[in-house]
Amino acid sequence: MHQPLALQPLAPNDSTDIMAIANNPVLWICVAGVFGVIIIQSLIFMKAARRAAPSVDMSARDIRTSFRSGAVSAIGPSLAVSLVAIALLGLFGAPAVLSRIGLIGSAAYDVSAAGIAAGSMGAKLGDASYTQSVFAVAFFAMSIGGAMWMLATLILTPLLRKGDAKIRSVNPAAMAIVPAAALIGALSCLGLTELPKSAIHVLSFVVSAAVMGTCLLLAKKLGKSWLREWGLGISIVIGLGAALLAVGPAAGA
Amino acid sequence: MSSITSAPTANNTAMADFSRTTSRWGQITMIAGLLISVAGPLYLVFGTGLDIAPAQLWIAFAAVAATFGIIWIVEPLTYYPILGPAAMYQAFMIGNISNKLLPAALIAQTNIGAKPGSKRAELAAVVAICGAAVVHLVSLAIFVGLLGSWLISVIPPSVLLVTRLYVLPTVLGAVLVQAIVSMKQPRTTVFALLVSAVVVFVVLPLVPSLAMVSTAIAVLGTILLAWFFRGKATIAEAKPIHIE
Repeated sequence: MHQPLALQPLAPNDSTDIMAIANNPVLWICVAGVFGVIIIQSLIFMKAARRAAPSVDMSARDIRTSFRSGAVSAIGPSLAVSLVAIALLGLFGAPAVLSRIGLIGSAAYDVSAAGIAAGSMGAKLGDASYTQSVFAVAFFAMSIGGAMWMLATLILTPLLRKGDAKIRSVNPAAMAIVPAAALIGALSCLGLTELPKSAIHVLSFVVSAAVMGTCLLLAKKLGKSWLREWGLGISIVIGLGAALLAVGPAAGA
Repeated sequence: MSSITSAPTANNTAMADFSRTTSRWGQITMIAGLLISVAGPLYLVFGTGLDIAPAQLWIAFAAVAATFGIIWIVEPLTYYPILGPAAMYQAFMIGNISNKLLPAALIAQTNIGAKPGSKRAELAAVVAICGAAVVHLVSLAIFVGLLGSWLISVIPPSVLLVTRLYVLPTVLGAVLVQAIVSMKQPRTTVFALLVSAVVVFVVLPLVPSLAMVSTAIAVLGTILLAWFFRGKATIAEAKPIHIE
């Protein structure tokens, strides 16, 4: 049943075999390209920083310390992001997860964008309506969103560098309330949309939300900030564990 | 900067040089990253025989923009004062800024005793993000690229099916709680939950065709309510939003 795509051009968009297209070699090449661009950028920036350092009384040792501090402090968050990414592999495939959740974007944005895009096609991620076409459009939606962030950065950074005060003098109340309302509104609508699907969806949602709440509470009470970093990963694993237990006998069939 | 040892002219030339290099190459690499990251999905849509109308892409884009359009612009604005111009080009390409890159930059600045906003702090942030990028790329390649692909191949298909079906509600449940706690805007939260509940449990069952724009409706409704019923305290307490 896994024919090469070229052999089934007539009705390929009805196929729900996501992994057949999610692991397309071209996507792997693009992932390698993004990795490569970040490596090249880091090399250029390191060289530039080293050259400029003496002029601001920054020793070679300060550079080493900064690099090591950045690297060490990134270990925990990077592993936490990797855990979240692994949990999403089955839904989006490795190339999309690596380039979207791992790099450029974040789990919160990309999962939301994918869900919204699937919704705009009248489909839902993960179930029988999640066809190859839905995956392609969802992947496009995640990527174009990341592209818009980069576009905004490309346009705004030079303006802000020139000290254009106008941009930053937007009403502070609006700057605080509007984006937060957009974000919480979007996430709560997307979250509640999951609930009518089935009792197990409700269970997964509630367990995961409760675990995240507990993690954040403990992080604050005990002063353990790693709980904040790992909260999402832990919540997903326990939430999925609960779903697996609930499905139980059916899963064996 | 407290130092008076380096001559101002030399100081200015070297930092101007740094600004020029990072600005030029930051833009070049970011444009390259932007094009490559969009090339993948566009190839899937148009190059693999999937029959997808371009209109479908515009609809999906509009739906996402209606929800996140504001955040695309506001987030670079809120991060700029913390990151400085050079690190902006790194941060918005590497991603996971609030949970990874910002802590990396802050710890580096503390460890070399750089004052926030100084030139030393700017350089320390850039170097620290380079360090964080190395660790992040390596861990992604090993744990997600190699280990993850292997995991997918060995776990039973029934378990894989369960993760595929239910990973979405688990991600959204956790992320929603995270957003609510970190934003610290109880009023906005109540409005968001109320509006969303009305949209999902009342409006959608009555008018199923609105499913395409349900998130946009919820977002717009929450923004309007949160804005018109904002408390004075909210403004002082509100934190910048972080999703990237």
